[in-house]
Amino acid sequence: MTVDLDKDAAAGATSTAPAKAKRAPVSEGARAERRLGWLLCAPAVIVMIAVTAYPIAYAVYLSLERYDLRFPKQAKFVGLSNYGAVLSSPYWWHALYVTMIITVVSVVVELILGMLLALLMHRTLFGRGTVRTAILVPYGIVTVVAAFSWQYAWTPNTGYLVGHFSSGAPLVHEYQAIAIIILAEIWKTTPFMALLLMAGLALVPEDLQKAAKMDGATGWQRFVRITLPLMKPAILVALLFRTLDAFRIFDNIFILTAGGNDTYSVSILGYDNLFTALNLGIGSAISILIFICVAIIASIFIKGFGASAPGAEG
Amino acid sequence: MATTAKQKASWGIGNTVAILLAVIPVLWIVSLSFKDPSTITDGKFIPRKWTLENYRGIFKTSEFTRALINSIGIALISTLIAVVLASMAAYAVARLRFPGKSVLIGMSLLIAMFPAISLVTPLFNIERALHLFDTWPALIIPYVAFGLPLGIYTLSAFFREIPWELEKAAKMDGATPFQAFTKVIAPLAAPGMFTTAILVFIFAWNDFLFAISLTSTTSARTVPAAIGFFTGSSQFTAPTGSICAAAVIITIPIILFVLFFQRRIVAGLTSGAVKG
Amino acid sequence: MRSQDTRSDTHPTRLRARPRLRHRAAAVAVALLGAAGLSACGSSGGGKVTLNFYSFPDNSGAVQQAVDSCGTSRYTIQYNKLPNAADGQRQQLVRRLAAQDSALDILGLDVTWEAEFAEAGWILPWTGANEQQATAGTLKAPLETARWKGKLYAVPYNSNTQLLWYRSDLVPTPPKTWDEMINDAIKLAKQGKPHLIEIQGAQYEGVVVWFNTLVASAGGSILNASASGPSLGKPAVKALTVMKKLASSAAADPSLSVQMEDQNRLAMEDGRAAFQLNYPFVYPSMKADKPKLFKVFKYTQYPRVDANTPSHVTIGGIDLAISKYSSHPDLAFKAALCLRNRKNQLIAATKGGLPPTIESLYSDPALAKSYPFHAEILAALKNASVRPKTPAYQNVSIVISHAVSPPGAINPSSTESTIASQIKDALASKGLIP
Repeated sequence: MTVDLDKDAAAGATSTAPAKAKRAPVSEGARAERRLGWLLCAPAVIVMIAVTAYPIAYAVYLSLERYDLRFPKQAKFVGLSNYGAVLSSPYWWHALYVTMIITVVSVVVELILGMLLALLMHRTLFGRGTVRTAILVPYGIVTVVAAFSWQYAWTPNTGYLVGHFSSGAPLVHEYQAIAIIILAEIWKTTPFMALLLMAGLALVPEDLQKAAKMDGATGWQRFVRITLPLMKPAILVALLFRTLDAFRIFDNIFILTAGGNDTYSVSILGYDNLFTALNLGIGSAISILIFICVAIIASIFIKGFGASAPGAEG
Repeated sequence: MATTAKQKASWGIGNTVAILLAVIPVLWIVSLSFKDPSTITDGKFIPRKWTLENYRGIFKTSEFTRALINSIGIALISTLIAVVLASMAAYAVARLRFPGKSVLIGMSLLIAMFPAISLVTPLFNIERALHLFDTWPALIIPYVAFGLPLGIYTLSAFFREIPWELEKAAKMDGATPFQAFTKVIAPLAAPGMFTTAILVFIFAWNDFLFAISLTSTTSARTVPAAIGFFTGSSQFTAPTGSICAAAVIITIPIILFVLFFQRRIVAGLTSGAVKG
Repeated sequence: MRSQDTRSDTHPTRLRARPRLRHRAAAVAVALLGAAGLSACGSSGGGKVTLNFYSFPDNSGAVQQAVDSCGTSRYTIQYNKLPNAADGQRQQLVRRLAAQDSALDILGLDVTWEAEFAEAGWILPWTGANEQQATAGTLKAPLETARWKGKLYAVPYNSNTQLLWYRSDLVPTPPKTWDEMINDAIKLAKQGKPHLIEIQGAQYEGVVVWFNTLVASAGGSILNASASGPSLGKPAVKALTVMKKLASSAAADPSLSVQMEDQNRLAMEDGRAAFQLNYPFVYPSMKADKPKLFKVFKYTQYPRVDANTPSHVTIGGIDLAISKYSSHPDLAFKAALCLRNRKNQLIAATKGGLPPTIESLYSDPALAKSYPFHAEILAALKNASVRPKTPAYQNVSIVISHAVSPPGAINPSSTESTIASQIKDALASKGLIP
C-alpha cells in the first residue's frame, strides 16, 4: 500500500505539468486526465461520426462503381477506372486550373486585406462598433443573393459596374468572368479572415506592445516582431479554413456564370456530373479527388506552420 | 498617448473606406428591393420609382415568414450546440493529454474538407429512413456536425494561448476545476467562443445545399432555400425585386447578431484576467 | 500527500459536473427527435387518401384552383411546390425518386425528362382507359414528348412555343425566313433605326431550343430515329450557318451571348429591337409596361429556314406523370387526368398564360380574349418539333449549348463535327461533362 502511495504521489506530482512519463505505468492522475479528455471530446466525436461516417464511406464506394442513375441496371464495380476517366479528361484539368487561380489569388488578397481590416476593427480610435458591424455584413448576406447582385451589377444595360470597368458582357469572357468571381469571393469572405485575425489580435498582450514601444520599436517592427508571431495559430486557422473553402468554391460561380464559358471549378464539375448527368460513379470520383487535393493543401499548411497547429504541444 | 488630429483623420479615412467597400453592394441590393418592376433594369443606383410592392409581395403568403422562423430557430440551436460541444472538445485538445488526440484533429479536418455535394444524397437517405426528413433536426444535426471542425480548431487555438498558470492559481486558491473553468478560463476564452458562435451561425444561416436537399415543405425550409421558390411574373422572369426584398429582411437579424456579439468580444478581453 | 488529496478532490467533482450537462443535452436531443418523429409519421387518418402533387411554383392561382376542384370523396390532392428553376425541380424529384420515396404521387415534369425518368424506372406507363383519355383531343407534339419506347409515360398539361414578335412601325410586312429577317434588320441598321433581332444566345437550355428549332426547320434532327447516335449532317450545318450569320451581323444584340428569354423581352420593351423570337409571356408584359409601344407590337409565325418548308418550332411545357412508388397509383392516374382536363387547362391559359394542349380549346371563344394569337400558336404546335428524346438528354443538351454558345464563335462545319462526336460520348454516358 505504502509503496503504491509513494509511486502514485511521485507520478502525480508530475502529472499536472504537461510532461508525462511515457513508459512508466500510467498513474491514476494521468488516467483521470485521459478519461476526462475522452469524455469532453465524446459528444463532438459522436455527432461528427454519426453524420459523416456512412455518407463518406458510401461516396468512396460509389466512386469505385460505374453507376449512372438513368441506367440503373448497368451498374457494376469497376475499381479505379472512374478515377482514370476523370484524370484523363481535359475538363478536370481545366477545372483544376481555374480553381487554383481563384484560390491563390483570393486567399492572398484576403489575407492582406483581412489583416488590415482586423487592425482597423481592433485599433480604430472611434466608431468601432459601426466599423465592425459594417465589415461583417458582407459575410452575413446569403451567398446566393450576394452573387446574384454581382451578376446584376455586371450585366450590360442593367448593372451599375459594367459601364465603368469594361465594355460588352464581361461575364461571358473567361478571364474577365474569373476576375469578377474572385472579386465576389473576396468581398464576401474577407470578413471571415478579418474576424479570425482580429480574435487572434486580441490575444496579443498590450504590455508587450507597450514595452517594445518604450524600447523604441516602430509600429512596423512591433507588428512583424511581436504581433505576427503571436498570431501564428490564428493565422493558421484562418488560412487553412479559408483555403479549404476557396478551393471548393461553388455558390458564386454557380450564380454568376453557372460554370459556362470555361469558368467551371472542380466543385462545379463534380456537381454537374453528379446531379445533372446523374453519373454517380464519376461524380463521386471527382469528389474524392477534390478531397485528396484539399488534403494535400491542408497537410502543406500544417507542416509549414508546424508547432502552431492545434493539438501540437508548443 | 494623446491622439493627434492626424491620427484621428487617418483612422477615420480607414473606417470610411472599409465601410464603403463593404456596404455599397449591399446598398445596391436595398435599392433593387425598392425599385418598381418596370424600372428594375434601368441600372440606376437610386430608384426612379419607389415601391413597397416587393416587400408586400413576399409577406402575402406565410411561406417566407415561416422560412424566416425556421432559419432563425435552426441557426440559433445549431450554434448553441456546436459552440458547447466544440468548447468541450477544444479544451480537451488544448489542455489535456490523451491518446487519440491527433485522430480527433485529423477526423474533424477530414470532415471539414470533404466535398458536401457527395454527402448530401446519402445523408438524405439516412434522414428519410429515420423519419427526420423535412424537420428541424434534419438541418440542425448536419449543421452542428459541419460546424464543429471550425469550432474545435478556432477554440483550441484560443485555449492554447491562455496561460496554464491562471488555472493552477485558481485551483490553489481553492476553486474546483469546474469553477476554475467557468470563472477564470471561460471569460478569457469568450472572444474565441463568440467568434465561433458568429462563424457557425452564419454558416447555418447561409447554407443552401443542405437546406434545399433535406427539406421539402415550409415546415423546415430555411430562407436560402425558400428564395429558390420565389417566382417572377412569368416562368422566364427572374423575381429580382422579391429576392432583394427577402435579402434585406434576412440581413437585419445578422446585423443585430453581429452588433450584439462584437461588443462581447471586447468585453471578454477587458474582464481583467490578462492584465492581472 | 497534498497532490493526492487534490487528485481525489478533482476526480469525482469533474465527473459529476459533466454528466449533468450531457444528460440535459441528450434529453433535449431525444425530445427534438421524438417531436419530429411524431409529426412526420402518422398524419393520415380516416379513409380519405392524400395525393401529393409536386410541380412548378405557380403564383397565378390556376394550379391551386385545379387542385382544389379535383378532389373527390376518395382523395384530396395536395399541391407541393418545387423550386422555380427547372434544374432545381429535376434535382428534387430525382433525389426522392431514386430513394423510392412513397410520398410523391403526381409529378409535373418538364417535357425533356420523360425518357430519362422512364428509363430509370421512376414513372408508370399509361395504359388502357387512362391512355385513351389522355390522348383524346390532345395535340400530337406534346404527346410526342411523353412517349418513350412506344409507351405513353405522361399526360401533357401545358405547352409553350415561340413566335416572331416585331414592330409594325419599323417592319410593315413581317419577314418569312431567317435570311429575310436578317436582311431587314441590316437595312434598318443602315437607316439608324432600332434593328436588333432578339434571340436567346446564352450558354443554357434556351440556345439548345434555338438550335433544335433551326435543325428541325431545315428538315433534319439532332439524333437519329432510334436515338442511338447523332443525325445532324447538312441540316445542322445549315442551322449553324444561320446562327453564325445572325451573330456576326449588325442585327445581333451586343449581349447576345448572355441573353435569356427575359433579357430579350426587356430589350424589346426598351425599344432597342425590331424583332424578337420569344414565348407569349412578352405580350401581357409589353401591354402593362409600355402601352405606347404595345400599339405597334405585332406577332407572326416563327421564320422559316427554308422558304418552302414551314418552320418546326421546338416546344416546351409540362407533362404530368405518376410515380412508380406512389401508394395509390390508380387514384393518382384519375387525379392527374382531372388536373389537366379541359376546364382546368382553360383556367391555366387565361389565368396563368400557359398554352393548353387540348386542341379544341384553341377554337374556344373564352381563350381568344386573352390569347389573340391563339391561331398562330395552334399552327406552331401542329408543326412543332421536340427536343431529342433520350435518357441522356442532359448530357446532349450540355454538349450542344457549349458548342453553339457564344454564337459568334461558331464555325458551321467544324462545330457540326464537334457536336456529332461529343453526342456519341454523351449518349453512352461516357466520360465527364463540363
